[in-house]
Amino acid sequence: MKAKHTKYLPLLPVSCAYFILFLIGKNVAGMWQLMAMLAFYCALGQAFNIFIGMTGYVDFGYVAFLGVGTYGMALSVSRLAGFPNLGLGVVVIGLILSFVMAGALSVAVGAVALRLRGAYFAIATVGVNEGFRYLIEGARIWGGAEGIIFSGQLTETLGRDTASSLSTFWADVMVMIVAVIAAVITVGYMRGRVGYALTALREDEDAAKVMGINVTKYKIIAFITSASLAGLLGACAWALKVMYVFPPEAFQIQYTIEAIIIVVLGGAGTLLGPVVGGLIYGLSKYWLAVVMPGFQLLIFAPIVIFIVVAFPEGVVGWVKRRAKGTAIQSYLL
Amino acid sequence: MIGQQLAGNLVNGFVLGGVYGMATMGLSLIFGVLKIVNVGHGAFIMVGAFITLWMFSSLGMSPVFALPVALITGMALGFLIFSTVLRRLIKAPELASLLATFAIGMLLEEIAKNLFGTEFRGYNWETGKLVLPMTVLPMSKIYAFAGSVAITVLMYFWFKKTRAGTAVRSVVEDSDGAQVCGVNVSWVYALSFAIGIGLTVLSGVLLTMFIPVGINPYMGGSYTLKAFVVAVLGGLASPYGAFFAGLAFGLIENGSYTVFAALPGVEPFALTRFISFVMLLVILLIKPTGLLGAK
Amino acid sequence: MALLQLENVTKRFGGLVAVNDVSLEVEDGESIAIVGSNGSGKTALFNVISGVYLADEGRVVFKGKDITTLPPHTRAPLGIGRTFQIPRPFSSASVRENVAVGAMFGTLSGAISVDESLEVADRYIHLVGLTPHTDKEAGSLTPVEKKLMEIARSLAMRPKLLLMDEALAGMHPRDIDEMVAFLKRIKAEEGIAIIAMVEHIMRAVVGFAERVMVMHQGQKLVDAPTAEALRDPRVVEIYLGRPAEDETHARG
Repeated sequence: MKAKHTKYLPLLPVSCAYFILFLIGKNVAGMWQLMAMLAFYCALGQAFNIFIGMTGYVDFGYVAFLGVGTYGMALSVSRLAGFPNLGLGVVVIGLILSFVMAGALSVAVGAVALRLRGAYFAIATVGVNEGFRYLIEGARIWGGAEGIIFSGQLTETLGRDTASSLSTFWADVMVMIVAVIAAVITVGYMRGRVGYALTALREDEDAAKVMGINVTKYKIIAFITSASLAGLLGACAWALKVMYVFPPEAFQIQYTIEAIIIVVLGGAGTLLGPVVGGLIYGLSKYWLAVVMPGFQLLIFAPIVIFIVVAFPEGVVGWVKRRAKGTAIQSYLL
Repeated sequence: MIGQQLAGNLVNGFVLGGVYGMATMGLSLIFGVLKIVNVGHGAFIMVGAFITLWMFSSLGMSPVFALPVALITGMALGFLIFSTVLRRLIKAPELASLLATFAIGMLLEEIAKNLFGTEFRGYNWETGKLVLPMTVLPMSKIYAFAGSVAITVLMYFWFKKTRAGTAVRSVVEDSDGAQVCGVNVSWVYALSFAIGIGLTVLSGVLLTMFIPVGINPYMGGSYTLKAFVVAVLGGLASPYGAFFAGLAFGLIENGSYTVFAALPGVEPFALTRFISFVMLLVILLIKPTGLLGAK
Repeated sequence: MALLQLENVTKRFGGLVAVNDVSLEVEDGESIAIVGSNGSGKTALFNVISGVYLADEGRVVFKGKDITTLPPHTRAPLGIGRTFQIPRPFSSASVRENVAVGAMFGTLSGAISVDESLEVADRYIHLVGLTPHTDKEAGSLTPVEKKLMEIARSLAMRPKLLLMDEALAGMHPRDIDEMVAFLKRIKAEEGIAIIAMVEHIMRAVVGFAERVMVMHQGQKLVDAPTAEALRDPRVVEIYLGRPAEDETHARG
């Protein structure tokens, strides 16, 4: 019988991980970029995991939500720049807008795609990121194929110093905060009714229905949550840092690939998995960029295949299995 | 006049559509038999394209010779992939095979990237042109179309008339029943996957007739989406339904391009690609098992 | 008012009529055995009652409410529980978590908390005798243990009607006797009506069922109290003779 206070114990190692990344980045010269990148990958993994890990469905168009989030921030800054006295408000509005826009896109896609079973759902999502990108380019909305450059407006609204510290420091801190939020939500879901429903539908959708679970409802909950968090990440980790958005970059499949690698490597459906996966992948990519740039996907593709076939539970899943009955079990989720 | 342009584009679309259809046969076959969606589908088309390019540029051989090479390479590749990876995932949850085929596709793209670099390449196969009232068609495209039709017809007869083909059809219908009737189901799986990949690589050869300078390691992605639309349109498990669906798709794709090109304020190419995606969602919503196929 | 009423229910798949104009009434607390060979429509009938299939014709009425068009997840909390022929556990979850799912989503009492569900689960796990396995992964249980877990999971839903699909298949005769006694006990204690499919297991039919229904090619052939049904020549034929012919009929 789990007492209330041990329910959230697994958040401890996760929060520590992000805190350590922050401390190293802040106090060791030149490390901030790397720590920020690692935090981004962990956050990406956590957000993605809420959907793929808990439902067992894979969204191949996931990066669309990051892209839409980027646009949310870009639109807010570029369109609201003229309003006096908004200051940092444009950033706050940008965050809200990213969250809402990504959520809205997920509702639109989910309403169609989530009624479908696993394989059909995957097929439906293959085109989402492309589809949305070509909608923007094709209908020439939101800057069309040229995208939006808002560095000027950001500097104008916030002043050079604030804008600069925002894009080089505070944006990354926000990424870490989003990561912690994602972790908290993950635990809340996993330990609550949502988690039970999702586990049931992941294992056996028909049996779950007969047990009284409205599978579509829970799939949608996971999908929207995962998408909205991705929107926030797009706003913080992309828009605020580079201060422009450009459709081919914002919707490139690269990030869906990386999210998949991170979650599969670390352990889909676990809390710590994406953190571990993010750290391993991020560090490998960083190291390889020095030694053999451009090779990381070539190396990770067979690793993913291997894990899917031989160790589908990933690193953390494997460790959890070993740790059953030991003291550290309650810290692993 | 838009009418003439439309007609011209539709003819092109029809011809291309036939090849799209043939390109999707492998996908449908694999899904019908193994219930696995080959998310890396486009990468195999890319393999076929590079085989053609290499044989033409380095060996000076016309694409006709690339056809058997592509088919055999594809089948060998398919057989290899099945026996090392996919065989173990037949009983695994869907997610596993989706991720595995995705990663396999990715691996092929990365290998190609490291071998050939990321620039766009092409080749020029001059075999004359056919002049029609509404458009001029290079003979290479016509040969590609003819090839697609021929292969589709061959596959049709293979399924209906040969023992192996019948065995495959029985597994699509009911794998347990087939097993009880003495069909070696695991052998059917391996064969079907090998043929499916073989057909896909083969289609890459034919598709190069339509992309004068578009061959590069990452070209597969857009074809994967188109293949899914065609497959879903034609019945995800119906290999020859895919052919007709391909024709329809080719017509719609080029037709909508013409319409968009005539509209002010929009980018026709991008909007056409958006429409493909919308088509996919619409069809999946109405009838996921396909508008043309039954199963 | 009967607990469950099927009125002229028909379900077709293309040319095949899986359930053919079946009418049926089940009262509170009844125990019924459905008998019939593969293809006779037993499973299809269960699927129509639980909502996995929607009837093409006819009505399904439960506790006086027309549920004919309701999806399965809305029918379950109304009080319809179901076990499967081949058990379908949520393999990566523990036995306890599995049974808790039943309590959490299968009852009408609104949002029942995770902790409460786990407590209810413990009770039903104890009832079926699986307590030593409570924290084991459901996928690691033996087939018989999985069957018992499925029963516990369905019971945790507090059903008024429990549909048991081949619950006794593959069990030793002694286990069957125990199971029959167990089913009678829970029937009395929990006040559940049970429809069980017990193809060709005589001792279960005699020991357990108050009524026997015979299905053949989608139709209800016989529906009578047990003693009467067992004297019916058609039922005797099904048990003793012509199963091969029934098979070919069913496949054709």
